[in-house]
Amino acid sequence: MVKNKKEIIEIQSVSKIYNLGQTVVKALDNISLSIYENDYISIMGPSGSGKSTLMNIIGCLDVPTKGDYKFNSELISEMNDNQLANIRNQKIGFVFQTFNLLPKLNAMQNVEVPLIYSSLGKKDRTERVEEALSIVGLQDRMTHKPNELSGGQRQRVAIARALVNKPSIILADEPTGNLDSKSGNDILKFFSKLHKAGNTIIMVTHEESVAKLSKRRIDIFDGKIARDE
Amino acid sequence: MNSFFKNILIGLFSIRSNMTRVILTSTGLTIGIFTVSLVTASISSIDKEFAKSMEYYGNDKIYVGTWPWSFDFDWWKYRNRPKIDESSLEYINQYSEYITDVSIKKNTWTRASYGNKASWVQLNGVYPSYQDMLSGTKIVNGRFFSQNEWDLQRRVIIVGGTVRDGFFEGEDPIGKKIRLNNVTFEIIGELKKQGMGMVPGGTLDNLVIMPSTTFERILTRWGFDELVLQTNADEIPQAKEEVGMIMRVARKIPPGDDDNFAVNSADAYQAQFNDMKNAIAGMGFLVTGISLVVSAIGIMNVMFVSVRERTREIGLRKAMGATNFNILTQFLSEAVAIAIIGGSVGILLIRLTVFGISSFPIESFNGSTLPVSFDIILVFYTFMVCVVIGVLAGMIPARTAANLNPIDALRDE
Repeated sequence: MVKNKKEIIEIQSVSKIYNLGQTVVKALDNISLSIYENDYISIMGPSGSGKSTLMNIIGCLDVPTKGDYKFNSELISEMNDNQLANIRNQKIGFVFQTFNLLPKLNAMQNVEVPLIYSSLGKKDRTERVEEALSIVGLQDRMTHKPNELSGGQRQRVAIARALVNKPSIILADEPTGNLDSKSGNDILKFFSKLHKAGNTIIMVTHEESVAKLSKRRIDIFDGKIARDE
Repeated sequence: MNSFFKNILIGLFSIRSNMTRVILTSTGLTIGIFTVSLVTASISSIDKEFAKSMEYYGNDKIYVGTWPWSFDFDWWKYRNRPKIDESSLEYINQYSEYITDVSIKKNTWTRASYGNKASWVQLNGVYPSYQDMLSGTKIVNGRFFSQNEWDLQRRVIIVGGTVRDGFFEGEDPIGKKIRLNNVTFEIIGELKKQGMGMVPGGTLDNLVIMPSTTFERILTRWGFDELVLQTNADEIPQAKEEVGMIMRVARKIPPGDDDNFAVNSADAYQAQFNDMKNAIAGMGFLVTGISLVVSAIGIMNVMFVSVRERTREIGLRKAMGATNFNILTQFLSEAVAIAIIGGSVGILLIRLTVFGISSFPIESFNGSTLPVSFDIILVFYTFMVCVVIGVLAGMIPARTAANLNPIDALRDE
């Protein structure tokens, strides 16, 4: 592992414990992990292994029960809802398995959503949106609504939305899970391109072939890191 | 602050895509606003008309007659009372401390004619002192009759606006002669036109005034007499009590017997009018209150549905960096907008209704229109009411939306 890169994420002895009445579920059990700039990581594991919980914590959608989570040296584990929302808005781009585009908005408006919660003016927003959509090669589909786009195109709109705030990391949760193999491969090639361009990508997947494309692979099993190489 | 307005825009945008549901939901509010506006408009219009009518009687006058001014007529009791006669006035002049001026007022209706035109008019026979006791009107042309004309029972009259317009159509009526009950009278004065009234007997302009002596000689057979007594507006209750006692003396009523006369003043109408007004207002506000509550519940329900339908959207927006306050604002503005749409339709309806009513003159009101007016301040109040209802109805659903956990919300199917 290359250690001379800048550390973006530092996870130290993090546990996440769910109290479901009488049973206590340890979704994450004392995990420590560092993620560096321009990493391309795939997180693998069977369902129930805790990989989604880890993604939620990395994505600042959830806070750990125990342990410290630092993002760009800021202690996330003690932030309130508004501070977390701000981190998500500024530092993290999400790509979901089911795209999660808003059906009534066109491609441009969908990509604009994160910018609405930032302080940018209308003109800057439009510029950024157009830039992001041309990065994903959809400059001629800007006014199309999701139902007028193919699955691969929809996922590219979602990626443009993840890129539009120029985030520190891109979090992708099974980004090819809902796509046919050709579109899936296109998306993966695109992730490689983004990685080469300097982006940090963290991807959850359960497909070996997908994981092979990444530069670093982390296996989670029973809430613990089983492999990290 | 910038993002505050952006969230409002998002809320409005989602309304646009659900227009049918929004319109159906806001109908309750439309009805509520329509009712409350109509009631308020009617009451303020009735108030204005009533104030005008009150001027006809004056707030500083006492009227003594056989009938009390009320709507609960006890017909058999009052009809056999002895007539009011002028001899009582001597007692009042002699003993009263509150009454500053007096006149008889003899009332009847008769046929008036001029050339080939004829009409029924109200006739009053009064003292010369009545000139200073005219209320709500005054001599605008010519003069009142003199003491001398009264003494000599001269056939001179003062006419109201309707009589002048009906017979002379803008010509100067002074010096013209008209026939009343087939006797010729000369017009010496003209009264200022007052317009339509709302009180019984308050047809203000279809009026002819003459000396009571002349009246008695020529037109004594029908009608009734009353005493008109001048006092101070703020001494009406004391004056009425005093006049009541003097009248008992004048009419020689033994102690313990009931009065066989009635002492009236305009405030009697005022009290009844207030009752009527309160009844209208009470009904109106009850209907409004119910429809506002129902529509608030309707809006709340639709907002819950909206939050439920868009749980994933909420989760997504939160993942993209929306704060709880952003989401709260978005859903609250949606609720307020639904309320305002309902209210605006209500205002539009009331505007059309008022316009419709006021543009059709109604025959029975002497050609004038129904007393309804539209107040711009209503629009402001309506807006405020809608905002309050929208916020109240939207608060719980919007809070539910704002407090959703983004992870669960994103997972929602």
